[in-house]
Parts: sequence; structure tokens; C-alpha cells
Amino acid sequence: MAGEVLVVAEQVNSQVANVTLELLGEGKKLARKLGSPLSCFVIGHNMEAAVDAVIRAGAEKVYLADHPELAEYKTLHYRRVILDELSSWATPPHTLLMGSTTTGRDLAPRVAAFFETGLTADTIELDIGPYEHTSGIDQTKIGYFPECLYASRPSFGESLKARILGPWKDPQMATIRPGVFAKPEMLTEKPEGVEIKKVAINFQPSDYRITIKETLRELEGKIDITAADVIVAGGYGLGSADGVNLLKDLAACFENSVVGASRKIVDLGWMTYPYQVGQTGKTVRPKIYIACGISGALQHRVGMQKSELIIAINRDPDAPIFSFADQGIVGDVYHVIPEMIKQLQEKNTSKLAELKVK
Amino acid sequence: MNKDLDIYVLIKQVPDTRSKAGVNPDGTIDRAKAGKMLNPFDAFALQAGLNAKKMGGPNSRLFAVTMGPPPAIDILYQTLEHGADATCILSDRRLAASDTLATAYALCRTLEYLFKKNGRKADLIFCGLQTTDGDTAQVGPEISERLDFTQVTYCEDFSISDNLLHAKKIIEGGTQLVSAELPALVTIANSYTKLKFKSLRGAQFVQDVKRASKEEQAKYVEIIDLDKCEADEMRCGLNGSPTIVSKTWKIGVVGGNCKMHQGKAASELVSEVFKDAVMLKEFVKI
Repeated sequence: MAGEVLVVAEQVNSQVANVTLELLGEGKKLARKLGSPLSCFVIGHNMEAAVDAVIRAGAEKVYLADHPELAEYKTLHYRRVILDELSSWATPPHTLLMGSTTTGRDLAPRVAAFFETGLTADTIELDIGPYEHTSGIDQTKIGYFPECLYASRPSFGESLKARILGPWKDPQMATIRPGVFAKPEMLTEKPEGVEIKKVAINFQPSDYRITIKETLRELEGKIDITAADVIVAGGYGLGSADGVNLLKDLAACFENSVVGASRKIVDLGWMTYPYQVGQTGKTVRPKIYIACGISGALQHRVGMQKSELIIAINRDPDAPIFSFADQGIVGDVYHVIPEMIKQLQEKNTSKLAELKVK
Repeated sequence: MNKDLDIYVLIKQVPDTRSKAGVNPDGTIDRAKAGKMLNPFDAFALQAGLNAKKMGGPNSRLFAVTMGPPPAIDILYQTLEHGADATCILSDRRLAASDTLATAYALCRTLEYLFKKNGRKADLIFCGLQTTDGDTAQVGPEISERLDFTQVTYCEDFSISDNLLHAKKIIEGGTQLVSAELPALVTIANSYTKLKFKSLRGAQFVQDVKRASKEEQAKYVEIIDLDKCEADEMRCGLNGSPTIVSKTWKIGVVGGNCKMHQGKAASELVSEVFKDAVMLKEFVKI
């Protein structure tokens, strides 16, 4: 029988991150296909409520590492408890999933390198299915594998999607961005009989080589683009970093609005990472998404396609963005956006006039 | 005064996506036709390496390392222009189709070869946060696991004192100040200081190196293969990769229900859209 489907939980202040619940929802489907249990590795301190949450989200077995030293994520301490526990298993997990967060992207590659196993980053789809390996220099790899983890992600060039798999070694690992999968329905009552295994904790002196001096979490609270109703996002079509001001001016016309960015302009340093929308940035679902000079590559699309209304502005009538936007304007952002601002301000004046009449 | 530091920067040459060259009509990249450039994230890592060298003792050294086909030597020359002391490229056909684990293995073999040659292990290894053509951010941490280094990812700023790296790093929902014992591997976020312009002296130096004899060149740009760094070919390239791409899809047009507005003055296009997008009204600021 295939090994377990294991989700490594992420927590902040003993609270389970949403991405963990999302992974449990998706992990359950994989576990049913494999006929394996869905388990969850909970690491932290004072984790009773967290354990409760992962069970209500579908975990059928919980591995718990609860220790004051684990209260805050630390690379070497977290690595230690995971590697010690998994190394003691007779059968490794079939699948191991982590959030593709700053934490998951720090930890997952260390686990993968230790077990010398495959890891697919920023996966957008998961499934279980067969694979037949028919040729190659390495004869030991040839064979038929009925139950592989399929992890799909946009590949370079970005209008291609690639299925990545590696059935030769378990655990088969993947990281998934927050918001890619839906949160499962949480059971109101905790089901009976879920085994909670307290894992052995044996920190080594070398685990203390990294220490946390200070954690500042309120900072990004100011920049949470996922909570906005209106996002005005810019891409390479802005032409230069100056174009970002144009986005800000347009965003300022709306209530609860924020600017967003494609990966390309974040890479170029025109905007910073918290504003990035897409596979390696934030997944957003605003009421209105205005894409300015964004081509609409798959990498970007997966992060915003669930927006209620998508308005796209692009000079290129063949830009992929027009294949999934609701309203498309073929034109130069430097002509269209100022016109939008002008007309919105006019609307505003007429709205005010309306109010005055009332 | 800090001790002398041996600093390594791991870099990669990636397709140049800034221009249209090599970009197919469907948006995919033709790697053969596309121009090449230094991975933009690695420019930040190079600046971090240059800064770290200044923080170390007077005999600190900065080495740049890459893996890839011979044209990737270009990015090594770039690091020399900026002030790297010596560089090395691992180039071998048997590395083709390496996934992140196989890449990390091959780079570790290269690093260990260089540690031996340079007489000691690295104090610091800098990597860009991720590459623009792979986006995985995995190779750095996979290397630190293999070398048993401490690790700081998403680093935005740092200083060095005694045997400690003090770093500011991005975490979920904020930032964190951490101290990590050396040797450490650090991945640099693109919120770090931008790469400064190369110096005239650096550019002149590279011109001289390029005109020098092969032996003289090899002092600054060493080219090695798997045999030279004693790497097991079964752990490299396709053989050594635990993952493969089993299938690719074109992402077709979805929906196709976009209402297009074009061929008119911007003012008309915008008023058309505002007429259609009734929802907008709800969110206009009064």
C-alpha cells in the first residue's frame, strides 16, 4: 500500500495558516485516490487549538512536535523534528506537501535534499496517476508506476503547463502557494479516534547555530493586497518604474484599492514583492482587477483569474490577457489610464451633485 | 576587525526576457534564439558578496561560480568587472536536464573542489532568491543542507561580526532579525541594495584577462567538468534528477468572452468600458 499523504502544517502564534487547511482539503482527495490516510505534521508550541483545526479540516492522523523552542519557525529546529520523525518510519510518506510561503520555501528544499527526493515548487494542480518510464541510461528507473504524484506548474515561457513527477523515491514532494486551493469545509465537531502521535524531540547542538533576535509582523499588515476590493496592477507594458505612479493615481480613484504588480516588474525592482500577483506572488480575488500592460502569462493568470471583473489594457490585441479578461481595451496605458482617471473624477463630480440634490 | 572571509556567489545565466527576441507568438521562450543575461536576482547576490568582502579582513576573497554551457562564461566576466577575485564554471553535457536536486549536487561538488583548491571552506555563500527561468528558490537551501551550512533565505540586509551573520529577512507577514553562525548560505531578496555600476578599472581588468594567454585566463575563469570535480555522473543531469517533466500542455484560450474595445480614441474606449462595467460605480471614491 502507498504511504501516507502528509501535510506539514505552518503556524504563526500557534495558529494554523490557511494554506495548511487548503492543503489538507486537496490532500484528502489524493489520499482517497491512493487509499492512504491523510496525516498532518504540526510543529510549534501550545498547539492544542491547531491540532483541533487540522483534524476538523480533514487530517486523519496527527504528528505533533510541541516544544517552546519551536514556538517560532526556525530552519534547523523544524528540520530536525521532521527528519528525525520521518527517518524512523518503515514506509516513508507517499506524498509530502508544504505551503509555498517564505517558511515552506526555506524548509521544503532542506527536507528534499536530505531524502534526495524530488520537489516541485509552486504547484497549481495536484493529482495521482500512472506513469510509464520506457527509456533512459539509468535502467533502474524503467518501469510502470501506477500511483505517482502529479504536480503541475507553469513552465518557463509561461503559456505552457508542465506536469512534473518523480515516482522513484518517496516522499514525492510539492509546495503550493496560499490561495491556490479552496479551504475545505471545517467539521464543527472533532471526529473520534484520530491518532495524535507525539514525536520525539532531540535537538542537536548544531541546531542552535541560528537564533532569532526579533520578529516584526505588523509591518506587512499595511500591505495586504489580498484584502482589497479593487486592484490596479501593472506589468512590463508600463515601460518604466515611473508608470507605477500612474497605477497609484488610478487606484486612488477607488475605495479599498491597492496597486499590484506582475512578476516581471518586481524582478526589475519597479515594485516590491508584497505587491506581486501570480504563481510566485499573491493569489487575489478582488471585485475588480485592472491589468495595465500585463501580457497575462499563465504565471500571472493563476494568481488573479478568480477576480470578479477583469479589465485589461494592453497595446497588443493578441496579448493572452484578453483571452480571460471581461473587458479589454487595446491601447497605450499612458493614454488610457489618464482618461480613466479623468472620467472617474467626472463621475465623482456628478455623484456629488446627485448627493447635493438629495 | 573581522577575520578574512572566503565568499562564494552562485549565479546563473538565464534567457533574456526583457526583449522580444526568442519569444514565440504563443508566449513560450525559444531558449536557442533568446538573448542571455545574468539572472536578475543574482545581481543582488553579487552586490551582497561584494559588500561582505568589505566587511571581512583585508585578505577576504570573492569567488563567483556558475553551471551551464560555455557561453555562461559571460556572466563570470561580469562578476570580475564588479570585483570578484576569481570565477569557475562547471560545464558538461552530462548536466543536461538537471532538476534542482541534481543541480545542487553538481554545484556542491564544484564548491568542494574549489574549497580544496583555495585551501579552505567557504565562510559565506550567496545566491539570488530564485531564478527567473525556474522560479523554484530550491537550489540554495538544497546546497546548504548538503554542506551542513546555516541558512538565511529572503535576506534583505546583513552585517557580519565575529563568526556571526546578522541578517534581516522577509518572513510571512513581516520581517525578522536573525543571527546565523558561519559558514552560512544566504539567499538575497531583490529588496537588497541594487548592484552598483562596474568600475572602469574592473572593465579594463577584464579586457586584459580576455587578451591574456589561456593559462593566465584560467586563473580568473576556470572551466571544469564533472571529472575534474569528481562528481558521479549518475547523480547528475537526467540520471540524477528525481523528477521529470512527463507532459506539457499549451494553455489555450479560456472563455474568450472578453468584450474588446479598440480602434477609437482613448476617451471613447474608456467610456465604453465604464458603461459596460456597471460594477465599477460601487467602488468609485466620493
